Amino acid sequence: MEDLTSHPEQARGGSAAMPEPSDDALLGRFADGDAMAARLLTDRLGPRSFSVALRMLGNRSEAEDITQEAMMRLWQMAPDWVPGQAQVSTWLYRVTLNLCVDQRRRKRPQTLENAPEVQDGAASVVDRMQDDARKDALQTALGQLPERQQQAVILRHIEELPNPEIAGIMDISVEAVESLIARGKRALAASLAGRRDELGYENG
Amino acid sequence: MKMADNDELENLFAQARQERPALPEDLAVRIETDAEAVRLRRLNATGRPARRSWLQAFEGVGGWRVLGGLVAASAAGVWIGFSAPAFLPDPANFIYAQETTFLVADLNLDADFLEAEE
Repeated sequence: MEDLTSHPEQARGGSAAMPEPSDDALLGRFADGDAMAARLLTDRLGPRSFSVALRMLGNRSEAEDITQEAMMRLWQMAPDWVPGQAQVSTWLYRVTLNLCVDQRRRKRPQTLENAPEVQDGAASVVDRMQDDARKDALQTALGQLPERQQQAVILRHIEELPNPEIAGIMDISVEAVESLIARGKRALAASLAGRRDELGYENG
Repeated sequence: MKMADNDELENLFAQARQERPALPEDLAVRIETDAEAVRLRRLNATGRPARRSWLQAFEGVGGWRVLGGLVAASAAGVWIGFSAPAFLPDPANFIYAQETTFLVADLNLDADFLEAEE
């Protein structure tokens, strides 16, 4: 198998090797006024939120805004957090996904309304999205999945979360997660095969 | 319907995992700025001082790295103080030298020097 050990939390300045406090503990420390805890949580959880948001939306600046907002909600809810009840990362993933859903719903009608005056505004938007995603066949195929399938597949196969955690994030049963992933992967495979054929015509 | 084979899909997932983005530095700064605003607002609202404020002050002046430098410099100073290397004058001499106070007035500059100026 591939080396899947690289974790995005190493993205920014690693600190000295010391016993790592749990996310729970850090959130508690932040709620008690410890500014350093916020920095550690940002380094640890920020990349996860950003990674999911970027995959869900396929747009960097939107994903950045979503991550900032998700983390803002984390800071705000810190005093109310009950340690041990759930994982902080589960909570953050859920908030991130919900914000992505909201973002899409907000964006869709606006995008069509504001589309330039062309015969078929919807088609131009789709073209533009495809242009943005052309470099990444998987991204394009993911974007065509129904929302819940897309979420489940991203959490399982890109974020590498176990199914029970995905069930917690999506607030559904593990069986429902498995079903969403299986259907999502079938749809992805079909979409990728179809796209390969299309590219044969389009790009020559 | 044609299907991409499973290996192809798994390869794409593996590639996507390797391409998971780092947190952009400016986004990290924005997030931490938000956190600080929330933290300060909460502290102001509750009216209690921040726990571990000494630690934050410590981080504010450079943290462990700066402290390490200070410790090294202090240790060097103490060492030099106790055993002055050959190329440095013995600090004890400075102390004794200062004990034999001599004032500018003692130089008796007044007469010749001042006259020369005029």
